[in-house]
Amino acid sequence: MTTYVLRRLLHMIPTLLGVILITFTLGYYGPGDPLQYQLGEQIPPDPEQLARLRELYGLDRPFHEQLVDYIVGLAQGDMGMSISVQAKRPIRDMLGTGLGVSLQLGGAAAVLIFVIGVPLGMLAAYKHNSLIDYIIVSFSAMLPTIPVFVLAPLLLILAVLQLKILPYSFGWEGLLDPRAILPLFILVVGPLLTIVRQTRSAVLEALPQDYVRTAKAKGLGNRQVMMRHILKNALAPVVTSMGFVVASLLTGSLFIESIFGIPGFGKLIYDGLRSFDYPLILGTTLVSSFIIMASNFIVDMIYPLLDPRVNLD
Amino acid sequence: MSATTTDNVTQISEEAPKTRSLWSNAFRRLIRNRMSLFSLFIVILVLLLAIFGPALSPYDYTKQDIFNTSQPPTAEHLLGTDELGRDILSRLMWGARTALAVALISQGISYSVGAILGAIAAYSGGWIDSLIMRLADIFMSFPHLLLAVFVSATVRRPIADAAYEIYRDTGVEIFRNTVMLDYLIVFGALALASWPWAARLIRGQILSLRENDYVLASRAFGATPWQIIRWHLMPNAIGAIIVAFTAGFGGAMLAESSLSYLGVGIRPPGASWGTMINESLVGWRMHPHLVAMPGIVLAVCVFAFNMFGDGLNDALNPRSSKG
Repeated sequence: MTTYVLRRLLHMIPTLLGVILITFTLGYYGPGDPLQYQLGEQIPPDPEQLARLRELYGLDRPFHEQLVDYIVGLAQGDMGMSISVQAKRPIRDMLGTGLGVSLQLGGAAAVLIFVIGVPLGMLAAYKHNSLIDYIIVSFSAMLPTIPVFVLAPLLLILAVLQLKILPYSFGWEGLLDPRAILPLFILVVGPLLTIVRQTRSAVLEALPQDYVRTAKAKGLGNRQVMMRHILKNALAPVVTSMGFVVASLLTGSLFIESIFGIPGFGKLIYDGLRSFDYPLILGTTLVSSFIIMASNFIVDMIYPLLDPRVNLD
Repeated sequence: MSATTTDNVTQISEEAPKTRSLWSNAFRRLIRNRMSLFSLFIVILVLLLAIFGPALSPYDYTKQDIFNTSQPPTAEHLLGTDELGRDILSRLMWGARTALAVALISQGISYSVGAILGAIAAYSGGWIDSLIMRLADIFMSFPHLLLAVFVSATVRRPIADAAYEIYRDTGVEIFRNTVMLDYLIVFGALALASWPWAARLIRGQILSLRENDYVLASRAFGATPWQIIRWHLMPNAIGAIIVAFTAGFGGAMLAESSLSYLGVGIRPPGASWGTMINESLVGWRMHPHLVAMPGIVLAVCVFAFNMFGDGLNDALNPRSSKG
């Protein structure tokens, strides 16, 4: 096990370096001179001051030196400074606050996705070809195709303007605030239905297996067969889609947090794009790819535990 | 292995007298499914709208009318006007062209690049294979949409500057056209984010098909690699590739709208559903229909293309269809 983990970690290093190289080249160097654009928005900058700023941000040095500096900084947890005129804070701090908020939202969403999605999928499979199954399947085909930035305003119109069942949800006061309901719902809805579909087909595949027949023949009740035998086998493929869930939560947060004014990670990406804050765009892109890599790694670690047939070596 | 081969032979000899080709069989299966028939109808409608819509559109999609802004649907403007008094129906029609053009071309680029790199990887093996696949891994460890957003946000200004300099030096008009540049950047960004999937698919197809007995037999008879590709690999892999291409199509339309919504895709004066949603989002309380219309059109289109992709999958790979 330890050698497997170590080998997987070693395997990640070249990918990690590749990711850093691509994001750095595009994000820091691609715009030519990020400061030029940043300052040029307001007034034509004084050349002397611009030169001093460039020196301050290290932009006057050759590419490879800047890249090495950036990697060394990253290793120490330093991601540079935001160049936005309004913010000018260390990006690490901005990401720290943003991720704190988004982790609450995303964590709650992920729990809901699995807690609701797996039973729904089991139900659909168990009542295969019944009305419940059709309803669940057609919703799971339809809802995820509606993009977040369409679903959010449509639900706002419906729930706030027409039905008046929710207050106008803008801002963030923690998860327990009623304003968190709508963003959380939208964040959950897309990936949830993928999990439902995954669970449904995994359970459908398990139902006609010999071990299920054996368990039934032994006289176990439906519930016990479902929980002890089917779920255990069906869960392994469902866990693999965790990587997908994390990716869609990340992408979803970009739209949801900007629409609902939630000061999280997604909002930082949005703000970075809006204010041409290249170091911030670079930082957020890099962190989101780290998150994807980490979640894929975790899935690979959990999978053999759930499915003993998978050989680690 | 040999059992399946004889199975295939009997299947072929049974079906041969009816002279039904792979394609007509697939088409029959496709239209037998009501859902895919319905989605095929929408797909064709959107295609027609994208091709002929701009010629049929009642107004110029950029024409503003500041005395008639944010109008509800009227006889003059069938779907009303937006906050600058532009005709929504016309903008939706042009938006269809944008969405389809971007989806088609970006998917085309990513599958061409994917086919070339995937084939090189499969055929050369060794370190070239691992190099290409490692590169694909790197690109796949970004969230797909965020990578496209990142690329199109960072390269936009340098490219715009470079294009402007070319225009200044040569005077060729096309380099001054910012909408054109937007299109190119979006094509590139989306293709860059999605080629690894195409490359993986094509590499996998080649690697698995190559092991078949009929390929071995063909090689034994002295067929050249190119002949093997044309006779065996292409006809067998094309189904899976078409399915993946169509399945990614709705996603590419969605990605274009997302980029445009975020302000890093097709920007005004170009028309895009994403831009329309973004522009009217501020006033969602006063004019909800302005947000709802492009939103619903986008959702229906993406849904139809996804369903069509699913139907095509069942039609072209009947063995993989789920109950």
